[in-house]
Amino acid sequence: MGVAGYVALRVGWAAVVSVIIVTVTFGLLAAAPNPSVQQAATQAALEGGDPQEAVERERQLRGLDEPLHVRYLDFLTGVYTLEWGWSEYRSQPVTTALADAVLYTAQYSIPWTILTVLFGPLIGVYSAANMYTWRDHAATGFAFFGYAIPNFFFGIILLLIFGVWLEWIPIVFRTEVPAFSLANARQLAIPVFVLVTGSIGAIMRVSRNESAAFRNATFMKTAKAKGVSPLRAYAYHVMRPTLVPLSTTLVGQLLAIFLGSSLLVEVVFGIPGLGRLTFNALVAQDTNLVLGSTLLFTFLAVVGNLLEDLAFTVLDPRISYDDREL
Amino acid sequence: MTDNGSGATADGSGATADGSGATADGSGATTDDPLLAVEGLRTTFETEAGDLVAVDGIDFTVERGETVCLVGESGSGKTVAVESLTGLIDQPPGRIEGSVRFRGAELTALPPKALRRHRGASIAYVFQNPQDALNHCYTVGWQLIEAIQVHEDVSDAAARARAIDLLDTVGVPDPAGRIDEYPHQFSGGEKQRVMIAMALVTEPDLLVADEPTTALDVTTQAGILQLLDDLKAEYGLGVLFVTHDLATVSQIADRVVVLYAGTVMERGPVVDVFERPAHPYTRALLACLPGRESDLDAVGGAERGGIAGSLPDPTAPPDGCRFAPRCAHAESACSTGDQPPEVAVGDGHRVSCIHYDPGDDPSALPDPTESAAEAERSSVESARQDVIGDE
Repeated sequence: MGVAGYVALRVGWAAVVSVIIVTVTFGLLAAAPNPSVQQAATQAALEGGDPQEAVERERQLRGLDEPLHVRYLDFLTGVYTLEWGWSEYRSQPVTTALADAVLYTAQYSIPWTILTVLFGPLIGVYSAANMYTWRDHAATGFAFFGYAIPNFFFGIILLLIFGVWLEWIPIVFRTEVPAFSLANARQLAIPVFVLVTGSIGAIMRVSRNESAAFRNATFMKTAKAKGVSPLRAYAYHVMRPTLVPLSTTLVGQLLAIFLGSSLLVEVVFGIPGLGRLTFNALVAQDTNLVLGSTLLFTFLAVVGNLLEDLAFTVLDPRISYDDREL
Repeated sequence: MTDNGSGATADGSGATADGSGATADGSGATTDDPLLAVEGLRTTFETEAGDLVAVDGIDFTVERGETVCLVGESGSGKTVAVESLTGLIDQPPGRIEGSVRFRGAELTALPPKALRRHRGASIAYVFQNPQDALNHCYTVGWQLIEAIQVHEDVSDAAARARAIDLLDTVGVPDPAGRIDEYPHQFSGGEKQRVMIAMALVTEPDLLVADEPTTALDVTTQAGILQLLDDLKAEYGLGVLFVTHDLATVSQIADRVVVLYAGTVMERGPVVDVFERPAHPYTRALLACLPGRESDLDAVGGAERGGIAGSLPDPTAPPDGCRFAPRCAHAESACSTGDQPPEVAVGDGHRVSCIHYDPGDDPSALPDPTESAAEAERSSVESARQDVIGDE
């Protein structure tokens, strides 16, 4: 089959997974009572009308009188053609609301992810290379500190220090600043730092423990006996094999923080990103918007897992594609 | 072989383990330095239980075109000894003392960078377990080319061409096609051939082979040993071969150094040591070989079915001869002082055992009495004292 065949199969499988998720979502929606129908009935009853008739009218209006399979196909096409409906709370199409929010989320998420992926393994391998010395303990201490302290709390403390006392950064995120500007970098530095400390700990610990096994492997002795410098030996002979097991945990770790912590950080720093949008949509019971952001997160997870699997297969040459199950 | 004649040297009297013992051509020579001369090599590791003495002051030499075997059971310090030569031991926790001279130049005093230029270039290693000795993430070619380019400023294409040549030399079939394969696509024997090719990239003078055939099956072993022998002749290599397998030693060695608990028990040309073993430990080792039992009766050996007991605690080695607690010939004098000085019992054949005087025949070892072989050592010491006293 080869690599290309495996990749094609795995991508196809990701598509199937996304259809399954959309289907389950539809099933849940269809089974749950529709709040707008309930509302119409209540309204009609209050105004002395016929609640039953109002329910019928509302159902017809929303296309709920159609057979289930027609509604399912409509829903499916809607999802894949990005017609995700109207957000009542934002008074704009759901996709527009999401696109606006993604723009802000991306501004801190991309640097945060890059920094984590770059420095997590680096600090981990450094720690393993200096195992049980003060350098290792310092790196481990830093990792556990970031891991243990809640992001939102850490964010508030830093905001207090750098925003309120030192007045180096604005207290509330300013959306009028252009995305690629020094001012934007300054106001995003603290949220990015907070998220990096939160995510780097887990990555660093995994890298440290995985590379600890490789630094004592015979091939490291081989490298040393060949006359390879310690720096090169770690960079090539330890870092590379460490990336294989790391790739399996990296995406999961990042997604967990992306879904959980970014909301809290957005609330603390007043960034109008995806997390806050979802939170507000939930509070406002804006079904379409909640559904939209849920689907967005779900797709991110599917794509993330896809990338993780592909990275794993490409990184470890020992994996054979010929008899590989998905 | 340029060893001393048996009676000519200071023999027993002055030659302590870390002195001038090993070979007569050692310290004073200004011309014709041996390829490798090790004197008083002592490697210790700091552990929580105290200093662990893995190698306790050993001497040996390796000449060009000669195979020297370090023999001993697991834990006798042979691997640590050869890895200490070029500082492959992590320091700390390890500490390497003594003198390692390569072509007359002292290696132990070299700064790390200068030492690195020797590794893989003039002194190359082949390790025990080929399964783990190649990095599974890189192709065989990548790893060979790395070994070349670490030492020489050659283009990728030139390095690759040489790598293919070397794979051919060590007998990997279809080298041009297989150079881009990963280690897991090679069999154990082929991996070891790749390791040998990697050791040869810069045409070293000394090849250190640390149990290179232990992890391989018997037919593959024979092929690898043959290859090493061929290469020794072709490249004029000095080979330092570490093994616990005496059958292997008998096939390839020119000279043998028998190690026990980090000290040298006996040394000599392979024929002498195998045919006329002097030290009780060597005799016991040889008795473990299938078909050797009757041979040993001829030299008065009584050891059978393995050696009772186990290696001494390396953090607290016993006084006197390290082997005394397990030795059927031991008497009270064996357990005092330091390891006995080596005495010559033949041409280049030397033994560290108090039962021998300089110039003695290797068969001069007194028989332990019947009861001594079986009973507790402490109870027979006095009885044996009488036997010794008679001679």
